[in-house]
Amino acid sequence: MPLPAEKASNRISEKINQAMPTAIASDNIGHFIELYEKTKAHSPALPSRLASLQNRAAAHLEAMRFPSRRDEDWKYTSVRRIVSQKWDLGQVAPLNLTQVESAAIEELEDIRFVFVNGQFVPALSTPSSQWPKGLTIKSLAEALEGQDAAWMSAKLEAHAQHDNPFVVMNTAFGQNGWYMEVQKGAIIEKPVHLMMFSTGEAAFVQFPQLWVHAQPGSEFSVMEHYLPKEENTPHFTCAVSCLRLEANARVHHYRLQRESEAAFQINYCEVEQERDSVYSSYATDLGGAIVRNNLNVLLEQSNTETHLNGIYLINGEQHVDNQTFMDHAVPHCNSNELYKGIVTGKARGVFNGKVLVRPDAQKTNAFQQNSTLLLSPDAVMDAKPQLEIFADDVRCSHGATIGQLDESAIFYLRTRGLPLKEARTLLQFAFLGEVTSNMPHEAVRTFVEKLVHDKLYNH
Amino acid sequence: MLSIKNLHASVEGNEILKGINLEVNPGEVHAIMGPNGSGKSTLANVLAGREEYEVTEGTVLYKGEDLLEMDVDERAHAGVFLAFQYPVEIPGVSMATFLKEAINANRRARGQEELSPVEMLKFIRNKTKLLGMDEQMLKRSLNEGFSGGEKKRNEMLQMALLEPSLAILDETDSGLDIDALRVVADSVNALRSPDRSFIIVTHYQRLLNYIVPDFVHVLFNGRIVKSGGKELALDLEERGYDWIKEENAVAG
Ligand SMILES: Nc1ncnc2c1ncn2[C@@H]1O[C@H](COP(=O)(O)OP(=O)(O)O)[C@@H](O)[C@H]1O
Ligand SMILES: [Mg+2]
Repeated sequence: MPLPAEKASNRISEKINQAMPTAIASDNIGHFIELYEKTKAHSPALPSRLASLQNRAAAHLEAMRFPSRRDEDWKYTSVRRIVSQKWDLGQVAPLNLTQVESAAIEELEDIRFVFVNGQFVPALSTPSSQWPKGLTIKSLAEALEGQDAAWMSAKLEAHAQHDNPFVVMNTAFGQNGWYMEVQKGAIIEKPVHLMMFSTGEAAFVQFPQLWVHAQPGSEFSVMEHYLPKEENTPHFTCAVSCLRLEANARVHHYRLQRESEAAFQINYCEVEQERDSVYSSYATDLGGAIVRNNLNVLLEQSNTETHLNGIYLINGEQHVDNQTFMDHAVPHCNSNELYKGIVTGKARGVFNGKVLVRPDAQKTNAFQQNSTLLLSPDAVMDAKPQLEIFADDVRCSHGATIGQLDESAIFYLRTRGLPLKEARTLLQFAFLGEVTSNMPHEAVRTFVEKLVHDKLYNH
Repeated sequence: MLSIKNLHASVEGNEILKGINLEVNPGEVHAIMGPNGSGKSTLANVLAGREEYEVTEGTVLYKGEDLLEMDVDERAHAGVFLAFQYPVEIPGVSMATFLKEAINANRRARGQEELSPVEMLKFIRNKTKLLGMDEQMLKRSLNEGFSGGEKKRNEMLQMALLEPSLAILDETDSGLDIDALRVVADSVNALRSPDRSFIIVTHYQRLLNYIVPDFVHVLFNGRIVKSGGKELALDLEERGYDWIKEENAVAG
C-alpha cells in the first residue's frame, strides 16, 4: 500500500507538535541513512549509473518512515524490534571449507555461492570455471552494463521509489547483487545454492539481492539458504529477489530459512512470467525471530503455471508472516498455492494470500490453500485469503483452516505402540509432508524433511 | 491373561458399561456378541486405553498388572492389540512408514534391537503376501481411501506384524465378503497359540464357523447377560437378539 505524501507530511507536523514515537520512527530511518553514507564513503566507486540509482533510493528512503501496525499491510507484523536497533554491515569472518562442507546438503550436487555475514567469499564458492555451460553469473554492477540493463534498471528504478522502505533500502545498499542468466534452451541440472552463513558476536545487517533471468526454454533451480548462526546475537537480512521467466522457461526457487531465533528477515520477491513458463517456489521457514516474506507473481502472458509451496514451523516467540500475491493479468493461466504451518508456544504465524484475477484473465485456474495446526493455547495464527475476481469464466478456490491434531489418529497410532510424542511428531510431519513432497530435488527434500523432523522431535 | 471385575465406564457422564466381569485365560478365544449399542466397542476401547471413556468402577488385570494404569502405548508394548471397528484414516503417513515405526517402537520398548531396513522390508512383505494384499498398498497413506475390506485386512496385517498376546477384534468381520472373512479367520487361526488369547467382538455368528471360540458371551445394555460355549452363537443366529432383550427387560 502506498504511503501517500500527505500522510508523510502529517507525520512531520506531528513530530513538530509533540509525539515521541514519531520522532523515534524517523530516527530509525536516520540510522540507516547514516549507515548508507558511511558505507559509501568506504566502498570502491561503482559505475555511475548504479551509484546514482542507489543514491536516489537512499534519498527516497530518507523521506520515508517505517511501517507501523496501523498500515494495513503490516497489521500483524511489527518491525519495531528490527528498526529500533542500530545495525552495521557484516564483516567477512573466517570460515573454512570444512565448515562449508559440513553445512552442505548431502547428496546434492550444486553450484555454490558462499556468503559470510553478507560478504561473498569466492574462495569457498564453486569457481567460475566449473559453472555449467549456459549459465552466466555476474555481479549486479557488471550485469547492469550487459544486455539485461533495461530490465534491471527499470526494476531498480521502481524499487528505488517503492512504497516498502525495506525494498528501497535493499536497492540503496545493493550490497551483494548477483545476477544469473540461463541461456536459451539451457537445462541447468545443478541448483545454484546460495549459502548465507552468519557468524560472530557482532550484530549486523545484510542486503542480498538476487536476479534470475531464465531465457526461453531454459530450466534452472536456485536455492536461497539462510543458515543458523551459532552465537545468539541478532542479525537482519533484508533481501530482494527478481526473477524473470521467458517463454517456456522453468524455474524452481527454493528458500530455506533456518536462521537462529535471534535473527530478523524481511524478504521481498518479484516474479514475472511470460507465456508457457512454469515457476515453482518452495519456501521453508523454520528459524528467525521476526520474518516477513512477500512473494509477488505477475503473470504477463498466457498459459503459465505457478506453484507456490510454503511451510512454517515455529515455536517459542517466533513470528513468521507470509504475504503472497498472484496477479492473474492475462487469460489461460494456472496457479496453485499451498502453505502449511505448525505454530506452537507463543509463536505467531500470518498468512495473507491475495489472488487477483483481472477482467481480461478468463479461463484462469487459481487455487489457494492455507492450513495451520495451532498446537498451544498461546500460539496465534492470522490467516487471510483474499480472492478478487473480475473475470467470469474462471475456476478459483481458496481455503484457510486452523486446527489441532486429530485425537483419534493419535489414539490409533498409540495403540500400535507409538509413544505419544512420536505419534504427534509423525502426524505433524505428515501434515507438512504434503508440501515437502512437492520439492523436486530429492536431496533437498530429504534435507528439509530432516530439519523439519528434528525441529518437531526436539521441541 | 485378562481379568475384568465389575467394570463400569461412562462417556460424557452416560454410563455405558455397567459392571462387566470377564476372565480370559491364555490360549482362549472368547466371542462377544450383542445388539448394536450394547457397549461392545466401548469395552474394546476401554481395554485399549481410549481416554474419552472414563472408568468409574472396577478393575482390569492384564498378566497380573493393573491394565487401567498403563498408557495406551504401554498396553501395546505389553501385547494388547485392538483391531478397530472403524480404522482411522491418516493422510500423509504411508503404510510403510507407519508399520516400520510401529514395529520398531514395540521392539525398543521390549528391549529388542530395531530391525534393519532390509529385515524390516522382508518381514513386512512376507506378511503382506500371506494376507493376500498388494505390495503397492505399502506406499499408500494409512487407511486413506481404503475400502472397508482393505481396512480390515490392514488391521489383520498389523496384528500379524505386532504378534500381540491379547488381540481384541472389534467387528472385524462386519461387511466382509467370504474371501475377506477367511483372511480374518486365517489371521487369527495362524496366531492361535497356548499363550495368546483373543476377544472377538462380532455381530454375526458366521465368523465363528471359521474361528471356533471357547466361550461366547452376550453383552447387552452394558452387562454380560449370558455366557456359554460355541452353541450359544448358533442359538443367537437362529433366534436373534429379541429374546435376550425381552429376558433382560423383564429382569431389569
Ligand atoms: N464417544 C461416545 N460419545 C457418546 N456416546 C457414545 C460414545 N461411544 C459410544 N457411545 C454410546 O455408548 C453406547 C454403546 O456404544 P458402543 O460401545 O459403540 O456399542 P456397540 O459397539 O455394542 O454397538 C451407545 O449408546 C453409544 O451411542
Ligand atoms: Mg461397536
